[in-house]
Amino acid sequence: MSSSYKSIRKRIDQSRKPRIGIIRDFDLRSPGVKVSVGVINLLCIFIVIISLFPILWVALAGFKDLREFMSSTYLFPESFDFSMYIRTWTQLNITRNYINSLYVIIGSVVCALVFNGLLAYGLAILKPKGYTIVSKLVMFSLLIPATISLVPLFMNIQYFGMGGFFTPLWLAAGANAFFVVLFRQFFESLPISIIEASRIDGCSPLNTFMKIVMPLSKPIVIVVTIFAITGAWSDFLLPFLVLGNGPYQTVMVRLFIFSTEQTINADDLMRAVVFSMVPPIIIFFVFQKWLTENIVSAGIKG
Amino acid sequence: MERLTTNKFEKWKYQASSWLIMLPGLVLFSFFLWWPLLQSIRMSMYRTRNIELVEFVGFDNYITIFQRTEFLQALSNTLLYTLWSLIIGFLVPIFIALLIGETVRAKGLFRTAAYVPNVLPGLAAIIVWTAFFSAGETGVLNIMLGWFGIDRMSYLSEENLVIPIIVTISTWKGAGATALIYMAGLAGINPELYEAATIDGAGVLKRIRYITIPAIFNLGSTMLILQIIAIFQIMYEPMILTRGGPDNASLSLMLLMWRYAFGGGTMEFGRASAVAVIIAFILLIFTTIYTIVNKRKVNWE
Repeated sequence: MSSSYKSIRKRIDQSRKPRIGIIRDFDLRSPGVKVSVGVINLLCIFIVIISLFPILWVALAGFKDLREFMSSTYLFPESFDFSMYIRTWTQLNITRNYINSLYVIIGSVVCALVFNGLLAYGLAILKPKGYTIVSKLVMFSLLIPATISLVPLFMNIQYFGMGGFFTPLWLAAGANAFFVVLFRQFFESLPISIIEASRIDGCSPLNTFMKIVMPLSKPIVIVVTIFAITGAWSDFLLPFLVLGNGPYQTVMVRLFIFSTEQTINADDLMRAVVFSMVPPIIIFFVFQKWLTENIVSAGIKG
Repeated sequence: MERLTTNKFEKWKYQASSWLIMLPGLVLFSFFLWWPLLQSIRMSMYRTRNIELVEFVGFDNYITIFQRTEFLQALSNTLLYTLWSLIIGFLVPIFIALLIGETVRAKGLFRTAAYVPNVLPGLAAIIVWTAFFSAGETGVLNIMLGWFGIDRMSYLSEENLVIPIIVTISTWKGAGATALIYMAGLAGINPELYEAATIDGAGVLKRIRYITIPAIFNLGSTMLILQIIAIFQIMYEPMILTRGGPDNASLSLMLLMWRYAFGGGTMEFGRASAVAVIIAFILLIFTTIYTIVNKRKVNWE
């Protein structure tokens, strides 16, 4: 009896969650404000629709065969036939591209964590003489995009004979100014006394990094990992230049070639798009809470 | 950390090992970012054949591209992109943040949904939008506008529409993430300010004008510069959506760089580098403005 009373009571309290924004509860006495609150809610629903509709549409369009895709003037497919997806997957041998993308992701995450982490460790904690120059250069790289120097980078990669395999893509993840800044901000917030104590106990700087700093930095390690995964998955320009038409094409390189050379049927293209969207969406929903909270703090500080 | 060491040798060892720890990162940054940037400057002054520098030609590449109509068009298009992104790309995230900030129920759902486009691979999102705006009767937008009796159009072949459409697409993708940052800024406003203002008789609009806007003004100016820097690099969208067309109406500077280097049969790397240097120079100006604006808040040393 009392527990059901409590749950009802709780529900009432929840429905009366106080307004904490610009418009407050006492404003609702005015009918004009009341209407605008309704309009605000409608607009938010509109935002949700706009954000999700193209994604839903492409997933639905994947159920259309070529004839239907090229001629139907309805948004919904005539039937929900999963064999279309399966056929495109096997015909285009997407499995191989998924595996290649997985290789790129694993190497990129390792490089992103180790190299950017070490550099940030130097800038935030070790601070040897002259480190300010490095931190200025990193800051500069944050604002000047890497794509600008794509041409000489491509030439250097060719010159060193690194074209055709994943190596340049892995290493490129180790030179990410944004990751360095994220790591650095987090390291600076760590209690310096713990790090100094390990040093007094005779721990080398490198050991301190691996045994003290990184384990204490789990939140930022996870954020950088997620960013490195989605970045490695989504990138296509450098991978296209490096991997080209070779055997190591990633999903995105394949999609890029499909879309520019038009060697693929329009309906297959839509299904390939869906295949490329599934992994990042899954990762997003698994880590959703993590991301939305931590991106904000990173964004504010960065 | 250095103060923990006492004798001279220890101090030297500390310096050396610290730099050694940073070395791998520095090598990678040099190889992928810093050295190619310097090479771009050098290469922009050479005549090139494939990946070889043939002869030094001074500023010839710059003079040549400035005489080409496509470069001037790309430059003015890029400015037009920037202008549109100030109207659409800058304001939309602020409105989204304000709107979602005022909701009580389902706030998390709104926030998540608005963020979802940001996690999609850019290339995939653009391909979807290509189908949306496609010209025929199967184009999604044409189907939907057909419900309201509006005649079908080929939106992406309209010279005046193509840039606003591309900016809208890139806003669709990025606005949710930017809005999250604004939401955090809005949540940081002391709620007592609103209460005090209400007691003084300020209505909702006055509260926005005198409390909300001043509170996120600094954040807004930072985001504005970042927005300009981002839109200046626009390349994927016109590349996939329109190939710079119709008639170069959506050609951006970055896309022109790509086209010179990898687009045609000939690899005009010298010319491409000259375009890259011009972009870098313009971005440098924006970056300088950004650091001046941002100086009060972020101190990097």
